[in-house]
Amino acid sequence: MERQLQDSSRKGPSLLQSTFRERAFNGIYEVVARQNHFYGINCKLSGSVYVVSEIEGAVPLVHGSCGCAFHHRLSPRKLFSPISDLACTEMDETDVIRGGEEKLRAGIIDVYQRYDPALIVILPTCVSGLIGDDIPGVIESLRSKISCDILHAPSEGFSHRDGDSVEVSLKNAAKSMKCSSAPPTAQDLRGCGHEEMMFALADQLMEEQDVIENSVNLEAFGRHTYRFWNDVEEMRRILGKIGVELNTTVPTASVDAIKRAPSAPLNIVVTRNTRWADRMKERFGTDYVKKWYFYVGFDKVGKFFIEMASKLGLEGEAEDAIRRERKRALGDLSESRRLFKSYSFAISTQSFLFNPNLLSVYTEDLQMPLRWILIDSQPMKSMKISRDTVEMMTGNLIDIAEKQDMEIEILVDPSSEKMARVAKGVDWLLTDRTGPPSEKEGDLGMMNIATASNLIHQTGFCGIVEFGKHLAWKLQRRTKKDAQKDASNPHRKLIVSRFDYEEDCYPMIKDPMCSSSRRMWSEIWC
Amino acid sequence: MDGGKFFGAYRAFSGIRDAVVLNHVPVGCNWGAGMFRTISDQADVRQACTVMHEREIVFGGEESLRRALLRADELYDAPLFLVIAGDVPSIIGDDVAGIVDELSLEKEVLWTEAAGFSGSMRSGYEEALLRLAPLMSGCDTAEGSINLIGFCPDDFKVESDVKEIKRSMKRAGIEVNCVISNCSSEEFKKAPAAELNVVFGQGTDLAKLMKEEFGIPYTELDYPYGIEGTEKFIEYVSESLGTGWDADLEHEIEPFKKVYLYLHELCKTPVSIIGDFHAGPLAEFLAAELGFEVEHLSSSGSDLDRQRFEQEVRGSDTMMIFGSSFERDLARELEVPLVRFNYPVFDQVSIYDNAPYAGFGGAAFLTETIINAIMGLGDF
Repeated sequence: MERQLQDSSRKGPSLLQSTFRERAFNGIYEVVARQNHFYGINCKLSGSVYVVSEIEGAVPLVHGSCGCAFHHRLSPRKLFSPISDLACTEMDETDVIRGGEEKLRAGIIDVYQRYDPALIVILPTCVSGLIGDDIPGVIESLRSKISCDILHAPSEGFSHRDGDSVEVSLKNAAKSMKCSSAPPTAQDLRGCGHEEMMFALADQLMEEQDVIENSVNLEAFGRHTYRFWNDVEEMRRILGKIGVELNTTVPTASVDAIKRAPSAPLNIVVTRNTRWADRMKERFGTDYVKKWYFYVGFDKVGKFFIEMASKLGLEGEAEDAIRRERKRALGDLSESRRLFKSYSFAISTQSFLFNPNLLSVYTEDLQMPLRWILIDSQPMKSMKISRDTVEMMTGNLIDIAEKQDMEIEILVDPSSEKMARVAKGVDWLLTDRTGPPSEKEGDLGMMNIATASNLIHQTGFCGIVEFGKHLAWKLQRRTKKDAQKDASNPHRKLIVSRFDYEEDCYPMIKDPMCSSSRRMWSEIWC
Repeated sequence: MDGGKFFGAYRAFSGIRDAVVLNHVPVGCNWGAGMFRTISDQADVRQACTVMHEREIVFGGEESLRRALLRADELYDAPLFLVIAGDVPSIIGDDVAGIVDELSLEKEVLWTEAAGFSGSMRSGYEEALLRLAPLMSGCDTAEGSINLIGFCPDDFKVESDVKEIKRSMKRAGIEVNCVISNCSSEEFKKAPAAELNVVFGQGTDLAKLMKEEFGIPYTELDYPYGIEGTEKFIEYVSESLGTGWDADLEHEIEPFKKVYLYLHELCKTPVSIIGDFHAGPLAEFLAAELGFEVEHLSSSGSDLDRQRFEQEVRGSDTMMIFGSSFERDLARELEVPLVRFNYPVFDQVSIYDNAPYAGFGGAAFLTETIINAIMGLGDF
């Protein structure tokens, strides 16, 4: 963490700039991985390799055939940053017949000598998993010869998640949002190797430490992304105001910092799975608090910090700090909020369905007069989400709208005609859809806020402030007439709009082969 | 760094452009092969997976394969299914041949075993092409025509290189009958119509088999980079076919005049090259025609080769690296330009098919790329 904190103190791009950089420079790679999810899912090994690549000084050693290492250098979660330091035991037929333990032993020694790593992580593959190599035994036999840490994480590609995992995950989240009195249930979702690797860190690497009072660990990753340092810095800043020190991020940290993670009495868990935090609780008594993705907006973010601080007995300090933060944020937003009040808005959205609390950000934090919410449930269809779950998610959004006592009409999958009527009835129709507008949205003169609206998801106050200011700037810079004029220009024809797309899997191109491949995946993966 | 037998088989099979590749593997292998492919062509997805899971490990994967083939037969409008059995079915002993034989599908089905641990990417490519051979049938010879063997659909610049090679060959009165493996199943079937098979780097086993089965001679030639490399290539082929060829290269030299001062200045620039069978011929062009000093030339075969190459380049005066996208980190570390010419390329695209690296036109475009990479160094 020392290194990270030093890095984070450097002057870099602003949060807004980082967000746009993320979209432009990394998004161009990520879109391919997103699209490929129409036809398959990535290997469990990719998640494990990814987590190891986040650890300063760690080298993954893939115990399998050379093809596994070749392909996992290009991890789907960081296609923009291929993993160079990835070793492999390059198992062959002889190893399959006689066992690969000797090769693994030699591989560990080779990695140790070649890379001088602080940590070697052995990642078994289908092949080594099937033949039953005793990986812990090999590691144990080398303890006296290798001075760096060695651990292993189950990564066999055949033990991947089931086809209903996304449905289960969304249903779980929707239920958690519905029942405000009960804490959200964490989900044990076996899968992409990330969780298994996190568990291995807690289980095999971390060491007993003297506890540093009022300190926390933050689950955070993505050191090669543009937003990572901004987001960690915002979290650290607010924690500091409460009197809490950020001990380390996990897994994005040095090996030493991860070993010392148990010196914090509390973990902040941000992913869907808590197994690693449960293991830390068992081994070191480290408590944890879950920061769900739907904790957005000043109110929910404030609540999260207070809940977190209460675990450290700092509830009062947190309440004071959050009050001040909120006041400052509202002060920073005052001009923007005044401007927003002079307009009427509708929003065409996919993300409100996943996270209905986003509504509060627009209507409460930004004071935007929102008249219509046009829900696009296409992603649900492409993910095979059941009608029950979609209805539960929609219900959550309706509940929040009703609680706010606002006159907001929610339309699910409106027709083109209805959308046109809505667009006419408001000053601005916003959209948070990533990518070009669909055919029915094309001529409505919408304002796309997809990239900037990512700022809202930051666990803090700066993100919403920057988003609000950016939106205000856009509104002052451009009128709805300008947008409509652009849309009606007969010579303005986006090249991407010249292709036909699958309605249920936008932006999957309409092609019989692609379509059949999509259906094959959808039917075979269950 | 070798992609292993599975990747080789996948690259050969997916080059049959109207065939569907059915990967009998767990999800990850299917994803990986598809990812490297769709990066270069996002609208061409014609593959599926039997999704081997723990239950298949316990009960066997034959039922999954059977189910997938039956469903694919209903869903796809394609003449040919190509099944690749990867690591897991190979170890658990799935009877792939038995399943393929027992089903009566509307489409033709061919298959290959390609466990990643059982061979190199090259061996997977060779075997997969042999598995395709039964598609071929004897046909009338198309005089003055050749097949080009050794291509993959995800080679960087494959479309423009093939187009340029065809153009160059045409000047010598030679037609390209079939490009393997980047052709339709119908073109593949008619491959025996050619008078000569030209093998670039891989596919030799298929060429040998075609010689035995159809009497077609073959020759293994360097990939045609540069003016000289292309001339040598055309000369050899035209001599073999007796078509004759008048080498008037004045026109091909013309574009280089526009940058002759830069070319003077770049002479003796130390460079390093890593790659598969494309690397040697490229090094020849860089050294013999552009005058670069080739400091290190390495095969990208094994992890050890790559490690050694990186160490040597770090300790050298290399001012430019030629390789794949995997060399990006090294180039950034050394703050020198990287020209990507070899598989896999996943951080650049090649969508315009008149911008080759091979053939006469390719010599000019490659030179343009090199100069721009040098002059653009440090651009952000």
